[in-house]
Amino acid sequence: MLLQFPGPNPNEVDLKSTYDAVIVGSGAAGGMAAYVLTSHGLKVLLLEAGKYQDTSKILHSMEWPYDHPRRGNKPPDYHALTVNEYNIRQQVAVEKSPYPKVQSYVQGWSGTDYSKTLVVDEKQNPYTGTRYAWVRSRAVGGKTNIWGRLALRLSDYDFKAKDHDGYGENWPISYSDIEPYYDKVDLYLGISGHPEGLPYLPDSKFQRPNKLTYSELHFRETLKGMGRVVTPYRAGVTTEGLKHNKYRSRCYGRGACNRHVGGCDIHAAFDSPTGLIRPAWDTGNLTMRTNATVYEVTVDKDTGKATGVSFLDSESKQSYKVKAKSVILAASTLESARLLLLSKSSLYPNGVGNSSGHVGHNFCEHMMGPSVSGFMKDLVAKPRTLDDGKPGGFYIPRFRNLEGQKPSPFLRGYGYEGSSGTTMLPSSVSTPGFGEEYKKHVRDYAGATIEIGAFGEVLPRYENAVDIDPDVKDAWGVPVLKFSYQFGENERKMAKDMATSGREMFEAAKFEVLSTSDEMLPEGWSIHELGTARMGDDPKTSVVNQFQQCHDVKNLLVVDGSTHVNASCQNPTWTIMALCWRSCDHLADQLSKGEV
Amino acid sequence: MSATLDRRDLLKLLSASVLAGPLQLTAAEKDKPLFFSPDEFELLDTLTEQIIPTDSHSPGAHAAGVPFYIDRTVAEAFLPDYKEAWKTGLAELNRLSFEEHKHPYLKIGKEKQLALLALLAKAEQDPKTAGEKFFALLKEDTAYAYYTSDIGIHKDIEYKGNVIQMEFAGYDAV
Repeated sequence: MLLQFPGPNPNEVDLKSTYDAVIVGSGAAGGMAAYVLTSHGLKVLLLEAGKYQDTSKILHSMEWPYDHPRRGNKPPDYHALTVNEYNIRQQVAVEKSPYPKVQSYVQGWSGTDYSKTLVVDEKQNPYTGTRYAWVRSRAVGGKTNIWGRLALRLSDYDFKAKDHDGYGENWPISYSDIEPYYDKVDLYLGISGHPEGLPYLPDSKFQRPNKLTYSELHFRETLKGMGRVVTPYRAGVTTEGLKHNKYRSRCYGRGACNRHVGGCDIHAAFDSPTGLIRPAWDTGNLTMRTNATVYEVTVDKDTGKATGVSFLDSESKQSYKVKAKSVILAASTLESARLLLLSKSSLYPNGVGNSSGHVGHNFCEHMMGPSVSGFMKDLVAKPRTLDDGKPGGFYIPRFRNLEGQKPSPFLRGYGYEGSSGTTMLPSSVSTPGFGEEYKKHVRDYAGATIEIGAFGEVLPRYENAVDIDPDVKDAWGVPVLKFSYQFGENERKMAKDMATSGREMFEAAKFEVLSTSDEMLPEGWSIHELGTARMGDDPKTSVVNQFQQCHDVKNLLVVDGSTHVNASCQNPTWTIMALCWRSCDHLADQLSKGEV
Repeated sequence: MSATLDRRDLLKLLSASVLAGPLQLTAAEKDKPLFFSPDEFELLDTLTEQIIPTDSHSPGAHAAGVPFYIDRTVAEAFLPDYKEAWKTGLAELNRLSFEEHKHPYLKIGKEKQLALLALLAKAEQDPKTAGEKFFALLKEDTAYAYYTSDIGIHKDIEYKGNVIQMEFAGYDAV
């Protein structure tokens, strides 16, 4: 029994014993798998490629910019990739960068000194092929340490999308199958929101909602007349506290979650380390090995079953093998696919779990870029109010291609995230001019601004895929991913409509429009990559079953976003965790009966 | 929902607010530019105050320490390009001033100075000449340094957030 969190490694891992389950990755999916399986009394080993970093200590959520020597910005030898650099090929930009430290675009925001150790170094973690803004975190908790917090449910518009428009495949589950697990996730982790009763965006078990600003309330009233909804941001944040979790505080509306890259140093916003891993740890059934870069799923060539994984110590690069009755991949959509494809053997020449040839394919996500910004005239030159002390702004759920509507010239839908009012830093650089007039203008408009940005479903296509590039290896000598992925005609048509409909809503609300964009940001920008090991009933066209077990290898599970059949336009984290909980309950039952 | 801070939460808030001591400059160091020459620094000081001046509402760039912040940022910049842009930009402004008025920028009087800046500011969205590009750099760095400063946040914008609230401020969704 280890007393420290996390264990000091590596000798703490008993390489001779066989764990009930070994989990690869400690983000939303890996944390949930660890929590659920240890709660069932199973002995679990959790492997994480990065280190444990205490975000209570590093995020400094309330530090003022002027109390930091670089106003919260990253050190001068750090560089964040720009849109242009992704456009000229990310690999070239990274290789040729004069900066010692190159990170993904998210580190280009203000306040990134606090998150610089949570995201990967691109020079150590290359990839090839088509452009892709791939944001990765190797740290206990992964991207949940800094996620955007929008916690939405999917509906049968998503699970049964093929029934609506004939495209792609249905999921092997319906909303009714996952609904009880969404409820469990809501109650266990806490979620803030306002019920709207929408069939295409089911309500959660909400705690105290965010409030709206004056302009948002006006926007909500306006859109009611158009049959559309402005609802307070549904944040994966506990606003009333969680009696069962001593590691997380309720939200106190400090507002730092939108000022930095994200993250919450009192853990009111869900993060995997405090929300799931520490509770799992407290069961006494969890062993966690950090700095463990898994590079292969091992299999028994007689039974065909998974026997465990091989990993490298991320620092010493020494290789280890661990044994387990079940192997659970939760390394993120792209890293889990990479692991399946890397695990080639005489039994599984195309990679383990890949007899269908679908691993790495049907890769999908959310498209971003189209946006509208403007201001509300009534608020110009009014005293600034406290507008950003909450976990998010507002959300406009999808309103295209719903039951009874005239079909759009594209399939599926999109939603908008929005925000308004005074923020700590006004939009000063984009305000033209200088001098007294300029200064007054920045001040007068600081509280009047409102903006929305769209998130649209990218259709899953077989040809949008990742594969292993045998010629390029990462800093640990592991072959990297090669991308063959790009947006298509459906996304281009949708982007035009996003800008048009956004502008139309602003005009209906009589907001002055400052700018409208219909340009798509590079692929990957939403950090919502999904679908590289999709679930289904047919082993010929899908990788895992409805309980996220590989059709080919029943004791090998993939529990992250890679199993999603389509991207929906709703943010994926809550669905990842609900599905994972359901699958781990099923696995625990099967393990107890000796069925896997 | 509880309207009071419970003890456990309060402890978490307190521990979260303990800051790692930032590299604060001492008073003596603060008075001395690290990168710019004394002449350049005087020019920078004048320019930043002209971009964001003191007015009846709040102090401007000089009081907010903007030139010192820019000096530190340029001094520690990793790439020489950025340092170069600042050096040559200030020189270019003096060159333009000489060309038009036979004197360096600091000697032509406020009226002519502001007229020259206004000329360069016209192409702010799409700067082409060396002078226009310098204005864009000056404006961007000045605005960032000012609006992230104590004076910019509290005295000018009168930002009310970054505080602990028992209830969110704003309006209920009805």
